Amino acid sequence: MRQAEILASLLLEGNSGKVWENIRKHPQLSRIEVYQNLITPAMQHIGYLWETNQITVADEHLATATCDFVLSKLAYQSEKRQSGQKAMFLCLDGEQHYIGLKMVNSLFEEHGWDTKYFGPSLPLEYALKTAKDWKPSVIGLSVTIVYHLPKLKEYAEVFAKLPHKPAVIIGGRLAGKYDLVPYCSDRTVILKDLPETKQWLQNYEAGGQQNAIF
Amino acid sequence: MQYFNHALPLAFLKADRNGKIISYSTIARESFDLSGGHLKGIIDEESIEKLIQYSWEPGLDPVKLELNMKTREMPLCLFEVHIQWDSEDYANMLFLPKDSSNEGLMDKLMQLQKRLTSTDFELLEKKEELEQVLTRLNQLSGPFIPLSETLCLIPLFGDITADKINIISESCLKAVFAGEYDEILFDLTAVGEIEGKGIEKFTQLIKTLNFMTGSIIKLIGIKPNLAEVLNNYKLDEWVQIDQSLKQVLNIYFNRNELGAS
Repeated sequence: MRQAEILASLLLEGNSGKVWENIRKHPQLSRIEVYQNLITPAMQHIGYLWETNQITVADEHLATATCDFVLSKLAYQSEKRQSGQKAMFLCLDGEQHYIGLKMVNSLFEEHGWDTKYFGPSLPLEYALKTAKDWKPSVIGLSVTIVYHLPKLKEYAEVFAKLPHKPAVIIGGRLAGKYDLVPYCSDRTVILKDLPETKQWLQNYEAGGQQNAIF
Repeated sequence: MQYFNHALPLAFLKADRNGKIISYSTIARESFDLSGGHLKGIIDEESIEKLIQYSWEPGLDPVKLELNMKTREMPLCLFEVHIQWDSEDYANMLFLPKDSSNEGLMDKLMQLQKRLTSTDFELLEKKEELEQVLTRLNQLSGPFIPLSETLCLIPLFGDITADKINIISESCLKAVFAGEYDEILFDLTAVGEIEGKGIEKFTQLIKTLNFMTGSIIKLIGIKPNLAEVLNNYKLDEWVQIDQSLKQVLNIYFNRNELGAS
């Protein structure tokens, strides 16, 4: 069995201890490599198992909850730096696939960002209220189900109009699969996977530093 | 498309190989918008492939699979679909709604998970905090006080534990080596309970001080319970035992005055 299949089967068992052990077998991997090379393929494989009628949505939920716990544990072990930057992360209303979003949130935390992580399904009105009050410089959205795409445009446009002009980034399964440009505003950034997100984050931070110097 | 007039407790549809709906039950009509007359109109785009792949080969056995459906109330709703092909090459399909039965359970699961996660990490955080507090407390339980150029005092506070003596030893040795003290006083008046391991460490500290500095080490303020324990460690050859700080200081200053005169 491939690594992704092994990890997927452990996640489907709901056994967070075994999942943790499995991940610890790869101590050479950095946190983002664990996300990108272990967890993402395993969760994608779980989606494939549903598509091929081998598991049910209930199984998927259990695997997601197990994965969530392991991610929290992984994130907890990191040393936190302080960068003074703020970011908020949410899934569109009705969207339940939040594991990718959670990994991106950890990535920002690891870079010392102060984050608000809302997880699955956040209605636009709440998201907007927080964005107005808290003024994060980055707003991250995640979308997995095609049916939710029309909502993406609404979210992207509303956030683009915010007076403090946050950067709006979009990721999720569909970002790698479809052209999301028609569903975004001009100022939205589409990031297809974690390495691309990390790259964007580094560029963003470098840009911020330059501004601070000059 | 024909209305299928049987009182069935679940939504029922009959479709041909192309997905055209042949007949439907009352509940099917109530649940789905059948105006298109085709399965494509009521199944989520991304579930159609699954349907074709896993049930569109006619077989004798019924097939069961989960599909996302578009209902009249919800644009996306999970159903368990049971399919049986008949002799006329029609797919007979029963639709069992799944979301409602799952959802409550999932919500509960997520809540529990959330609580467990936060409790777990809160506990860990508290534990680390507590460890830091204990270390700090230990650091403060054996202050080094120079009384004169040649006399210093280290009062010990609280229980004698190995951890505490370890932490105190470090700062104590550093301070003693920095000066030139003829006498080192340990005041044990404020000591509470004594651990075996703690007193072992304490003995080691005294021996180290004795070897490294050659100073006279005096223990003062020993209570009866402490005397009993100390007796087992044969400290006599390393230390002198005096009754109180007052007594020691009297002797020290008298001697110094005599020396001066």
